[in-house]
Amino acid sequence: MLVDFNFRVIFEYLPLFLTGLRSTFLIAVISIALAIVVGIIACSCRISSIKILKYPAIAYIEIIRSTPLLVQIYFLYFGLPTLGLKIPEIQTGILALMLNSGAYIAEIIRAGISSVDDGQIEAGVSSGLNYVQRMRLIILPQALGVTIPPLLGQNIVLVKDTALLSLISVMELTRCGQTMTSERFMPAEAFFTVAFFYMCLYFCLKALADWSQRKLIFREAY
Amino acid sequence: MIEFKNVNKWYGKLHVLNNINLKIPKGEVLVICGPSGSGKSTLIRCINRLEKIQDGQIIVNNTPVHDKATNLTKLRAEIGFVFQQFHLYPHMTVLRNVMLAPVNVKKMSKTEAEKISLAKLEQVGLTEKSGSYPAQLSGGQQQRVAIARGLVMSPEIMLFDEPTSALDPEMIGEVLDVMVNLVSEGMTMCVVTHEMGFAKKVADRVLFMDDGKIVETGTPSDFFDNPQTDRAAEFISKILTH
Amino acid sequence: MMSFYFGRLVEIYPFFLKGLWMTSKIAFISLVSCTLIGFILGIFRSSNSLILKRVVGVYVAFVRGTPFVVQIFIIFFILPEWGIQLDAFAAALLAMAIMGSAFICEIVAGGINSISRGQWEAATSSGLTLIQQLRLVIIPQAMKVILPPLVGQYVLLIKDTSVVSVIGVMELTRVGWVTVVRIPEGLMVFSLVGILYFSISYPLILLSNYLERKMSM
Repeated sequence: MLVDFNFRVIFEYLPLFLTGLRSTFLIAVISIALAIVVGIIACSCRISSIKILKYPAIAYIEIIRSTPLLVQIYFLYFGLPTLGLKIPEIQTGILALMLNSGAYIAEIIRAGISSVDDGQIEAGVSSGLNYVQRMRLIILPQALGVTIPPLLGQNIVLVKDTALLSLISVMELTRCGQTMTSERFMPAEAFFTVAFFYMCLYFCLKALADWSQRKLIFREAY
Repeated sequence: MIEFKNVNKWYGKLHVLNNINLKIPKGEVLVICGPSGSGKSTLIRCINRLEKIQDGQIIVNNTPVHDKATNLTKLRAEIGFVFQQFHLYPHMTVLRNVMLAPVNVKKMSKTEAEKISLAKLEQVGLTEKSGSYPAQLSGGQQQRVAIARGLVMSPEIMLFDEPTSALDPEMIGEVLDVMVNLVSEGMTMCVVTHEMGFAKKVADRVLFMDDGKIVETGTPSDFFDNPQTDRAAEFISKILTH
Repeated sequence: MMSFYFGRLVEIYPFFLKGLWMTSKIAFISLVSCTLIGFILGIFRSSNSLILKRVVGVYVAFVRGTPFVVQIFIIFFILPEWGIQLDAFAAALLAMAIMGSAFICEIVAGGINSISRGQWEAATSSGLTLIQQLRLVIIPQAMKVILPPLVGQYVLLIKDTSVVSVIGVMELTRVGWVTVVRIPEGLMVFSLVGILYFSISYPLILLSNYLERKMSM
């Protein structure tokens, strides 16, 4: 089956695929950066005791986690124009990814913070540190070690999520595969190539995630 | 009954069992002692093939243990093994822990298995705990259940890998008492242990190992009072004075 | 204008329920098939056989390293080229089975690997066969570790059914997509879709949280 693989056509489309790969990469980077900001804000609201911050945060997180990303993308893509907001698809896509990953990152950070031993907090309180100081000096530095591996995991998920943006006509990697399929009727060459590029991204990110896990375990040990 | 013929085992470059030749006749109580890393645990774990050997032969009741054709299930049913960390099944009651092998390996009926299991639990003095879970028992009680679990298959041989090393001092006695009673029933036993009192009381023979080799063997009185080798003498003085 | 569309939405509501039903069907069949295949693969993945571990590992890496939508395209467009004709529904089930079982495989392998070696050795020493050891000793204990993430994975799988809309399966997301063409109220349509997904996911999320708390005691 792979014997009839038409490599010539793949090389012909290589520039297109590389453009798509670049788009995927950029979209992912921008989205994850924004998602981390969203996550930090949402998490702060989630763990605060101020009800007007806490409950909307919980609602936001649970709604995102209980509904499919594709539905969220369509919600924004079809819904925003009706509110008079006409933004380019790529920005809609980034917005959807940012809101989606932001909720998961909020939970990851929350888990990281609660993993810090109560004794640490007590020690900080006994030393006279206030809430912000305890957060900054004691809790967050220790929570960081626990948080980074799942954060990198979410990064991997996000890169794969960018593929859904192809369904709202964003010219990222998967869309290039669809383009090649519709122009040349060669779905095998198109999508196996696309899969190959995603696997490359995946192995790079996974290596980074595994490396961080090893390095951070060493830090926790002492 | 158990025979080691020119047995050699390596972990990578480490020669853990070095040319072991040993014969253990039926009914003998053999105590194996020696410093950490001497290969004593490895030696008995090879008897029921928890570990493999690279060279030589181990024969139990005329069956070669490390032969590909050997029926391991049948072989292991004849050998009871007691671990240092007990390894009772935490998700089952004490009774079920003991009944598991008779029902599933010997294909006994549940009622028959239950009868034998309760008898063995009585033998180790723990009938009233048959409905409890391992987590509710003390270390000594758990180890006694582990012994019952080994005995329930009516094995001809019982192997003990440092059975009291993980126990608090007050519980060592209850486990050793159970083991002493087994001796009086004529069970063939190989016990890896540091409990020299036990050795002196019931062992027929003591084996001293170091660096994968059998350095010295003899009766308890010969070994403890008149060690032949310097290494053995050194070891004995260290454990008796600590 | 909104109330005009709202009225039409109420009219078309049964269509949404049909979509929800289709989503539920796909989800249920997928959960069952993925769990069965995933458990078997997980046992292979945690076995002592290097070949089994590696082969399953390659399969898992491919599934985890590529987007689900790309996998669906591969199955839907490429299988006919190899002579296998599948309708959209069957292709969707196949894609879900392949994807879900890879993730469940890792969860199951993680659970099995968390059981101490001593349990294996005790079971082996009693003369139990490998299958008896797994069935009676190892897997019952591994379930404590497996169950919370397994239920979490079920929630993810239910949400992933939305992606099969791209090959035309008339499940809940596609119902929304098709509806929004005729009732151009994106917010309302997809809010309704979202609420319906929420109604089947959220109970499972609560179950997963509950299990996580219970198992860590």
